[in-house]
Amino acid sequence: MIVPRPIAPRMLRLAALGLASLLLLAYVLGPVMWLLSSSLQTEREIVSIPPHWIPESPTLANFKAIFATGLGLARPSPAGTDPSSGGFIPSVAANLLPAMANSFIVAVTVTILNLLIGVPAAYAIGKIRFRGRGLTLYAILATRVIPDIALVVPLFLVVRKLGMLDSLASLIIAYLAITVPFSVFVLASFFEQMPDDLDRAARVDGCSRLRVLTHVYLPLARPALVAVGLFAFLASWNEFLLALMFTQTAASQTLPIVVAGITSDFTVSFSFLNAAGVLAVVPPVLLAVIFERYIVSGLTAGAVKG
Amino acid sequence: MARIRFQSVTKRYANGATAVAGLDLDIADQEFLVLLGPSGCGKSTTLNMIAGLEEISEGALLFDDRTMNNVPAHRRDVAMVFQSYALYPHKSVFENIAFGLRMRRVPEPELRRRVMDAAAKLEIAHLLERRPSQLSGGQRQRVALGRAMVREPSVFLMDEPLSNLDASLRISMRAQIRHLHAQMHSTFVYVTHDQAEALTLADRIVVMRDGTIQQIGSPDDIYERPANLFVASFLGSPAINLLEGALETIGGTLCFRRGALTVPLPACFRGDAREVVLGLRPEDVGPATSEAAQIHGVVDTAMPAGSDQFLGVAVEGAMLFLRVPKDVRVREGEPIGFGLTESRLHLFDRTTGRSLRRAA
Ligand SMILES: Nc1ncnc2c1ncn2[C@@H]1O[C@H](COP(=O)(O)OP(=O)(O)O)[C@@H](O)[C@H]1O
Ligand SMILES: [Mg+2]
Repeated sequence: MIVPRPIAPRMLRLAALGLASLLLLAYVLGPVMWLLSSSLQTEREIVSIPPHWIPESPTLANFKAIFATGLGLARPSPAGTDPSSGGFIPSVAANLLPAMANSFIVAVTVTILNLLIGVPAAYAIGKIRFRGRGLTLYAILATRVIPDIALVVPLFLVVRKLGMLDSLASLIIAYLAITVPFSVFVLASFFEQMPDDLDRAARVDGCSRLRVLTHVYLPLARPALVAVGLFAFLASWNEFLLALMFTQTAASQTLPIVVAGITSDFTVSFSFLNAAGVLAVVPPVLLAVIFERYIVSGLTAGAVKG
Repeated sequence: MARIRFQSVTKRYANGATAVAGLDLDIADQEFLVLLGPSGCGKSTTLNMIAGLEEISEGALLFDDRTMNNVPAHRRDVAMVFQSYALYPHKSVFENIAFGLRMRRVPEPELRRRVMDAAAKLEIAHLLERRPSQLSGGQRQRVALGRAMVREPSVFLMDEPLSNLDASLRISMRAQIRHLHAQMHSTFVYVTHDQAEALTLADRIVVMRDGTIQQIGSPDDIYERPANLFVASFLGSPAINLLEGALETIGGTLCFRRGALTVPLPACFRGDAREVVLGLRPEDVGPATSEAAQIHGVVDTAMPAGSDQFLGVAVEGAMLFLRVPKDVRVREGEPIGFGLTESRLHLFDRTTGRSLRRAA
């Protein structure tokens, strides 16, 4: 006798899985979609009930305002504009692009320095047996168990004493202190799990230690490098607390500071705020798209086998 | 061309473990030397010191007359095959083999010619575009060999290169490695824990244990005249039979006694110990004849093994494991007698384990 396959439970399972996936997607992407949609709406439309997911009369006014002002100075909203009509542009609009440039400079510099510092340090810790190797790694990691908030004041004092307040350099140095330990840790464990024989084979084949690194380990470490670089970039791009303390003028303010500043105007233009938010999201998303094929393998870098 | 000399070399690792102690070894140019011993006895450490992959704690290592202690690995004319193969996962087979030549700036046409040559010899020419992950174990092994071969090094090192292969492939690769040695003008140092491999391949075998050399000699020396109990039991499969007993001089002849068993011993043994161990290899028994010394026991088990049969024979409270021709009819529980070949007996001091054979 043929036993009928239990179709109903399987269908149920599939349906449940599908539903769960949809819910998760909505949860993750919902806010992003609203950010995008509302940045194209007028202030009036944005507060309509029920909300419009698809703008009735999309407008690029917010983006125009950001880009039109170029790199000029902050400018008060034009007289006679009515905040509720949607024509309102906050005073800091002109600072957005310079802030974005600042953020970008800081994040890229931090990323590059992370790799330049992290790779040799991690290689030494992961692959060269020297006295105090374990201790070194713990010492580096120990700096990260202290919460950032506890470091804000000491770091501020250091930066001020160095006369570096309100400069990009102060941010770069502070962010390096935050990100490098993590980079070293991730890369060191990556190098450590690469087979030792690979290093030996390359040295017998004629590579100095440095060449083993450049010719064998770095090509293999690409996923880990991408993961570490991306982390350093995002951490710098998003950082708020230290930037708030160290920067004072548009010369060094980063995007999170300026965007946050939008809400401290007398009147808050939510559509403009969201347009700024869209701009802040673009570079990380672009990076993620470019390096997409490395990100997944970088997250599972522990599985690499020789 | 390289003669390799270890002069009282000791290797201590960072954790304080002494892996090799006071090693003295002289390896002739173009010799095939096998380092043999159980796992952890210091074979790989010795090999790695030749390669420059491990620092030497004490003593000197010389290539010809040049002290190599402080020459880094990449400046030594040494190639090495690893047990794990250690192929570069991100490079094609061609680039894996070519890598050592590229690092030495060998011009492209010559590089290409040498890689192609090696690939042809190893029958992997059709695999050159593949990645290591797309190869079988045997193919990876060949690529690893090729990578060392193309270098045409003066010293060729191999660390258990065959131990990850299945049995049949291992036997055929042994022949190929011997062949390689005949073609190349390199000094070969080969590490293995497989005594059969060592006996097949070596010009000379160095048997090691706990970081010290137990015996150096040709395969025949090592197998037929083991210097101590350790060497005797490490070589041979099935292992040598060891019978504990005492020495007695009976009618002017030195004899081995164990209970009712008396074995007259040839003159090549010294009689200066009381407690001894008699060694008898499973294959060194023949039919019982009146001329030869004899040994009698009771058949405990009989196991046919294709060409031969193995017998477990109870002798004076000990169990001997013997190999006899298939046509010897035996039945379990029945008495049996064998003739011994005097020259094939081994005798050791039970306390020191040293052979009681007089120096030849
Ligand atoms: N990197 C190391 N650090 C500490 N001890 C080691 C290291 N490598 C090997 N040893 C020790 O040295 C001894 C010899 O090891 P090895 O030369 O690898 O033996 P073999 O190759 O004969 O199996 C072993 O006891 C091993 O545990
Ligand atoms: Mg070993």
